[in-house]
Amino acid sequence: MTDQRNRRTGACFALLAVLLLGLGVLNLLVGSSRLGVQEILSALLPGQGGSMAASIVRSIRLPRLLAAALLGGALSVSGFLLQTFFGNPIAGPFVLGISSGAKLTVALSMIFCLSHRIAISSAGMIGAAFCGAMLSMSFVLLASRRLRGMGMLIVCGVMIGYICSAVTEIAVTFADDSNIVNLHNWSQGSFSGIDWEDLGVAALTVAAAMAFTVLIAKPMDAYRLGESYAQSMGVNIRRFRAALILLSSILSACVTAFAGPISFVGIAVPQLMKRLFRTAKPLVMIPACFLGGSVFCLFCDLLARFLFAPTELSISSVTAVFGAPVVIWVLLTHRKGAER
Amino acid sequence: MSTCVLKTENLSIGYGSRCVAEGISLQLEEGRILCLIGPNGSGKSTLLRTLMRQIPPLKGSIFLGDRKLDRIPEQELARCSAAVLTGRPTPELMTCGELVAMGRYPYTGRLGILSEEDRAVVRSSMEMTETAFLRDEDFTRISDGQRQRVLLARAICQQPKLLLLDEPTSFLDIRHKLEFLLLLRKLAETQNIAVVLSLHELDLAKIIPDRILCLKNGHVDREGKPEEIFRDDYIRRLFDVEEKTYIAVYGEAGAPF
Repeated sequence: MTDQRNRRTGACFALLAVLLLGLGVLNLLVGSSRLGVQEILSALLPGQGGSMAASIVRSIRLPRLLAAALLGGALSVSGFLLQTFFGNPIAGPFVLGISSGAKLTVALSMIFCLSHRIAISSAGMIGAAFCGAMLSMSFVLLASRRLRGMGMLIVCGVMIGYICSAVTEIAVTFADDSNIVNLHNWSQGSFSGIDWEDLGVAALTVAAAMAFTVLIAKPMDAYRLGESYAQSMGVNIRRFRAALILLSSILSACVTAFAGPISFVGIAVPQLMKRLFRTAKPLVMIPACFLGGSVFCLFCDLLARFLFAPTELSISSVTAVFGAPVVIWVLLTHRKGAER
Repeated sequence: MSTCVLKTENLSIGYGSRCVAEGISLQLEEGRILCLIGPNGSGKSTLLRTLMRQIPPLKGSIFLGDRKLDRIPEQELARCSAAVLTGRPTPELMTCGELVAMGRYPYTGRLGILSEEDRAVVRSSMEMTETAFLRDEDFTRISDGQRQRVLLARAICQQPKLLLLDEPTSFLDIRHKLEFLLLLRKLAETQNIAVVLSLHELDLAKIIPDRILCLKNGHVDREGKPEEIFRDDYIRRLFDVEEKTYIAVYGEAGAPF
């Protein structure tokens, strides 16, 4: 039976890897300008730069595809961490207002820098997003002390999200002309316009956060039995909870800094992965959520670009179409007893 | 030649400034069972939580072996003291085998991967508690009696010297209560574990423990062997019940079964 479990886990990982690869290739092939397989292949190989195809693939499609995979994975791991923290199956960076908080501070610092003609670095963006994420997070934490039950916490988070979004909209409306279009696109959520420098910084941040996340997989496992049991097994609860909050904030801040707020990935993907793998063991779920989030976002980004081409949809509206039903499904099938 | 596992000296327990009980001095040797009885709110759970180091003592000191409880590092504490708590944990998609294996937490490495030796301890813990057949069952879908035995297996898996149980029998029917406590008795003797548990079932408190500690009105009202406690109409006075109701509930003296 245990062998059977291991085999299932292996098969699921293999499935995700195949999907990831397939969607990656599709994302390279599909786009507003038609490119043949031959052209794309030669563009991927080093040398022979300069051609139109090469520059499209190298500076538009490839970074966008990598960003979707990287940030999608980060986002769903962030959701998984939050679900563990709150013992709440529908917690996630978007519904708890954490993405919106990050969005607000990033928008404000972008407007400030643009109007003062200061160039803002990729790391600066992440820093700003992290401050916003922590701001929202502290509101949610304060609220969670007073609120009982998972519903109220989510309502509170959604309200925080609305407040932050409203302030962002107001700020964008009164911002100076030229870069508003760009800012507006970003605040709707999109994987476009990410260059190689951004991608490098994002990859480093996500990789570091993921490494720490894997290191807290063991206490996360014990925490599934509740705080008291975890403590009785030797988990330092205070340190563990702080690590969960910090890591989930860093991951979702990194996503928001470069792609704007992206809805429902953080809830939907961990839930889907739990049901696919038939386990919730963190050591399996952390890589599974990352891969699953990559696959989910590559798929949604493909649809966003392809469905009404040449008009592009915002990534958030596509993820919502697929993610929100998952949340409803979770609510309907969630057993009462599973609340902590 | 039995060694002392747990000792408290003039211990005061409570939350913050509110003292629940004071002047608790007790001593427990390996293989022995101490049972806490007393009315609701008398501090049974508070005492257990203090012994688990989940809340700090207000005054006095606790010794595990020859070391002060508050000086023991987390991992080491988890290797010598294990708990079965009140309430039912509801982990999502966790098999009983995985839950029991969690007891190896203080022994496994950074990533919590089980070694061959860990697996052997998990197996033997499940066999001792007669839960081996539940290994691949979802923990949230088994009966209450099975659930308590699995939680006990998890605690045994920690290979503790001291086992603390907070009302472990409250969800069980009378047959399962008795089975669970007899199992506990057997484990204490064969594994040389010192056990502290709280019970509401006085008829069972009469036959299972080696010693009984009665808590009432913020202090230890009486402490001794079961036959010393269940003498005269002490129990009736401990719980402040009228003579007639007590007889109606528990019957006359003698074996309840």
